[in-house]
Amino acid sequence: MGLIRKVRALFHRDKLTAEVDEELRYHLAMREDLNRRAGMAQAEARLSAQRSFGNLTLLKESTREADLLVFLETVLKDIHFAARMLAKHPGFTLLAVLALSVGIGVNTAVFTACKAVLLQPLDAKDSGQLANVYQSTAQHRYDQHFSFLDFEFYRDHSRAFSGLVATTGGELAMTGGQGIANSGTSMTGGLARAFGFRLPSVMGGSSQFVSVASVSENYFAVLGVNAIRGRVFLPQDTQEMDAHPAILISENFWRRRFGGDPSVLGKNVKLNGAAFTIIGITPHDFVGTIINVPNVWLPMRLWPLASKDSNILHDREDACCALYGRLAPGVSLKQAQAEMNLLAGRVRTLHAPHSEGSQTATISLTPGSHIGPVNLLGSELAFALLLILGAVGLVLLIACANVGSLQLARSAARQKEMGIRLSVGASRFRIIRQLLTESALLGLIAGGASLLMTWWVLRLLMLGIAGTLPIEWGSLALHVEPDLHVFVYVFILSLFASVLFGLAPALQSSRPSLSSALKEEGSGLALRLSNSRLRNLLMGTQAAACLFLLISAALLIRGSIRSMIISPGYETKHVVSLDVIFPPGLGYNHAKQLAEMNQLLGRISATPGAISETIGLAPNHGGLRTAAVGLNGMKPSTGNMARTVFYSYVAPNYFECLSIPLVAGHTFSERSAAPDPTVILSESAASELWPGENPIGKRVALDAANQFHEKTELIPRGDAYEVIAVAKDTRAITPQGGDNRKAYLSSPRDRIDGGALLLVRFRGDPNSIVVELNKQLHVVDPNLIVYASTLQDLLTSTPTFVVTRLSAIFASLIGGLGLLLACVGIYGTVSYAVTRRTREVGIRMALGARKGDVLRLIVLESGRPVMLGLLAGVAAAAGASRVLQALLFGLGSLDPVSFFGVGFLFVLIALLAAYVPARRAAQVDPMVALRCD
Amino acid sequence: MPPRKNDILQGTLALLVLKTLQQGPMHGWGITLHIQQISNEVLRVEEGSLYPALHRMEQDGWIAAEWGVSENNRRARYYRLTATGRKQLAKEEQSWQELIGAVALVLQFGAKA
Repeated sequence: MGLIRKVRALFHRDKLTAEVDEELRYHLAMREDLNRRAGMAQAEARLSAQRSFGNLTLLKESTREADLLVFLETVLKDIHFAARMLAKHPGFTLLAVLALSVGIGVNTAVFTACKAVLLQPLDAKDSGQLANVYQSTAQHRYDQHFSFLDFEFYRDHSRAFSGLVATTGGELAMTGGQGIANSGTSMTGGLARAFGFRLPSVMGGSSQFVSVASVSENYFAVLGVNAIRGRVFLPQDTQEMDAHPAILISENFWRRRFGGDPSVLGKNVKLNGAAFTIIGITPHDFVGTIINVPNVWLPMRLWPLASKDSNILHDREDACCALYGRLAPGVSLKQAQAEMNLLAGRVRTLHAPHSEGSQTATISLTPGSHIGPVNLLGSELAFALLLILGAVGLVLLIACANVGSLQLARSAARQKEMGIRLSVGASRFRIIRQLLTESALLGLIAGGASLLMTWWVLRLLMLGIAGTLPIEWGSLALHVEPDLHVFVYVFILSLFASVLFGLAPALQSSRPSLSSALKEEGSGLALRLSNSRLRNLLMGTQAAACLFLLISAALLIRGSIRSMIISPGYETKHVVSLDVIFPPGLGYNHAKQLAEMNQLLGRISATPGAISETIGLAPNHGGLRTAAVGLNGMKPSTGNMARTVFYSYVAPNYFECLSIPLVAGHTFSERSAAPDPTVILSESAASELWPGENPIGKRVALDAANQFHEKTELIPRGDAYEVIAVAKDTRAITPQGGDNRKAYLSSPRDRIDGGALLLVRFRGDPNSIVVELNKQLHVVDPNLIVYASTLQDLLTSTPTFVVTRLSAIFASLIGGLGLLLACVGIYGTVSYAVTRRTREVGIRMALGARKGDVLRLIVLESGRPVMLGLLAGVAAAAGASRVLQALLFGLGSLDPVSFFGVGFLFVLIALLAAYVPARRAAQVDPMVALRCD
Repeated sequence: MPPRKNDILQGTLALLVLKTLQQGPMHGWGITLHIQQISNEVLRVEEGSLYPALHRMEQDGWIAAEWGVSENNRRARYYRLTATGRKQLAKEEQSWQELIGAVALVLQFGAKA
């Protein structure tokens, strides 16, 4: 019961002290009085009174102690003392805080980012009640997609959910509504450009593709979210909606396209040609169940208006919708899941026999999240995550080992202080507690510093990314301000780290026997041995972890450089690719498209700077198509995936325009309306199909009917083609490779599918040609949507390149930090050793050792643990390089440049870090050294 | 340091202080004098242990303290018995009686033999 009072008393200690003083003074005065009355002289009376009290100070202390929580008070004292010690050694404190806060900061940043991506709850009122709905069949585990009709059945029959919503989405072309559709210049922001990524520039025009989230009509009601202007859809408005098609736009899009103009409400815009009225604006960064903030929210029942060939509302087999539910009050996930499984049994009977939907399916519910529960992540993503977390974990390890060795160095230098404190009666426990308090304080300061750093870095990063994304991707709404959880994470991490690095030195330095500690440098051979073993271990760990990171970084950097310099096999710098799209729904019929396309081609060839233009997919453009191959009159076998080629339709001058040499034969004859029965193969395809034979004149059947393609797309359907030429290989762009096995088919005249892929060879500056082409194209038709990028830019946006480049950047940042930390650690440790061995050096020099000998001795001694760590690091990196193989663009996984180069560089840097303090030792004057105590 | 002859037996200080305060509120000096006089100068209260003991008893809630003015017009800290303290006194008195009784039994056994 007295506890609270005792704690409270801590805060008016001064008052308490004064009171005890006064109380005792009264007693003293009375005793003195009594003595005087008994006949003593004044001075004697006072002395006698004081004597009867004994040690007055001790008495005051022990009286006070009864009223105070002493333990807490000494903790406060410890902290005060620790703060003083840290302030007394600003160099050490700065280094340690820097090292730790970098380690913790990197970890926090990654943790925050992972959390933002993985654990972000759904954006809704009371999001804890929301659940993701999955179904698992024999073929597909945890598929979140249901057909719209199935959704309606579950929605209407489920009692466990107070609301069930469905979403689907896509990109639609928006026209009208004024506002600035496109700036007409490259949308790539500073950050992505600095990293070497360029997204295609969208050419100015009145149409643009916007990201559309199509949601069930009850979506906003179930999520409990309202519009900031206007109103949202309501489930009961269906008739109204059918009569007056309405959409919502996001606040982000409102600002971006309409400049925040409030009069946009009630305006009409066209999506793929169908008219919609904007009736509301959703809150800033509102994402609901979607990952990115969409530009437009469209009621699902109106989706077919904008997407003409879609039959999702009536096709029970078209699993188009992701489902999310809000649990009814008092219903658990388990109960809801049981009910849904009952319903699933009934839904199954509604599907066509033998369809996938008629199979047995299990419904599972998981707490609502954007990308589903972490344990359902794809193995690639999980692997990447593991690599990233591993790398940052290593940085923390380096930082801890680093501060550990610094701490060890310092506490050994404080041996004398500890010896004195032990000999005047401090317990070992008390000293360990003091040292741990110092470490913990250090960790806390570092934690605070890193929190600030993380917040700043993440903010910078997110602003950079947000400004970079093209509009049709929607905007990114990752909330990355470090929240309470992250703060707790940092706090625990910093405390853990500080105790980790403080414990060993604390145990070490509190152990010495009194006599040897007081003799300081004689401090016992045994102690020095175990001390140095720990030190070597810490140093070796730093070296190993750091080298591992550096070699991985070097491999990735070399891979990404290699991907830039190996010739792709065609002209990249002076060819611009134009994706021309006729916005859907604006009444472009075949004849009009054809007429405009011919006009376009005419305009392009008249553009100053343009040399030639051709039709076809750039070799490094996405959207690869594969076809099964049949030889000798055999039908192409779809089962045999090894026998596939990558085909594309090109115009006869394609090879000339892109500078792809033909090694045999000659190109297609002029384009005709009828399909051309000839094919040009790449060297790889030819040697794969007829190893060692001349392929010219041979026939090959191609069939893409069972491979991925759009419904209306032109594909080879099992016809036989005669090989008329062989072209040089162009470089593969997929991580798996093999896409250099190409078959070029002749693109038929008059064939046009809502757009065309054009390639323009030019001379001069790519930016000015893009601006010029932009003008020309929109003279023909201002409604066209055109994406333009040079082939060089396309090359740098292929997935392999992006992954390699990103991981190279990440790994070198992390590796660089590791190197910095390791150098600080080595420097600190060697400096300490030098300081400790001044006398030994003095003796050696007095006995005739020269400066060079001393230098060599100290540098080599610290070099040994570094070398051992180096070997461990190289071995680990060799293992890692196998894993990274796919990203290295044919670089041998044991790339000697990376391994020897980085290893050598590291040794050099480590020796330098050791040399600087070692030189100080060599400059010691033997006489001074011997006298130094 | 060997204990002086008249030092109060360990553990009895609280009992004596509580008993003294049963007379009414009193300051530390008064308690010292009272115990000394009543015991015919046999028991001497050591100042070194009196004040820590008083403060501990205060923390335990047996006694309460407040500043008052002494007979000779000086500020002094007066202690008074609380209800808890009264119960504690009864308990300690009883256990003291038991202790004396037990010691007496042991001594009488020796006398008879």
